[in-house]
Amino acid sequence: MVNPVKRAYRRYLIEIGLSTVAYFAVLWVSNWLLYGQEPGSNGPMQNAGEGWKITIALLPVIPTFIMFAAFVRLVLRTDELQRRVYVDSLALAGGITALLAATYGFIEGNYLPRPSAWWAFETFMAAWLVAALFLQRRYR
Amino acid sequence: MKNRLKVLRAENDWTQADLADRVGVARQTIVALEKDKYSPSLVLAFKFSKLFGKRVDEIFDPEDTDQSIE
Repeated sequence: MVNPVKRAYRRYLIEIGLSTVAYFAVLWVSNWLLYGQEPGSNGPMQNAGEGWKITIALLPVIPTFIMFAAFVRLVLRTDELQRRVYVDSLALAGGITALLAATYGFIEGNYLPRPSAWWAFETFMAAWLVAALFLQRRYR
Repeated sequence: MKNRLKVLRAENDWTQADLADRVGVARQTIVALEKDKYSPSLVLAFKFSKLFGKRVDEIFDPEDTDQSIE
């Protein structure tokens, strides 16, 4: 009898591994189409319409969505305590990110520059990692 | 929630991994349960009940229950 949690985790590692490889491949193709291989050069689609260029720039979102789907499947297939850790850490990360975003929002523009949208993503992922490690420790 | 999982597991000469496999959870979940750091769902409590052939209240003691993660 195979433990369903171990099976879910093995499957997640395969899915996340394949989607990560796909992400870097699609990212490379997207960058090559828009910017070419040499720094400062133009890619084959550099002179295409704005709609096409936006579509190509968004291509890496597809494997990112597959990564997200792999994580959702892991959460649904794992056991109740692991699911609780994942969900609680996501909630904590969301709260921390919102708090930091609101704090920065009060001083951006006048005193500090407006950050890129990646700032929220990176902050959320870092907060999620810290929250998950913190919560895992509490149940050991 | 206090429980007798560690005693019952020892009586059957099972490791934490054995018990985890038998009820379909991660070994870490058995660790947390045995240290009273986590209270199981009703579904999981009934799985233990069926596995050990005991009533739920013979395995889990609802006294001194703390649902928070403090």
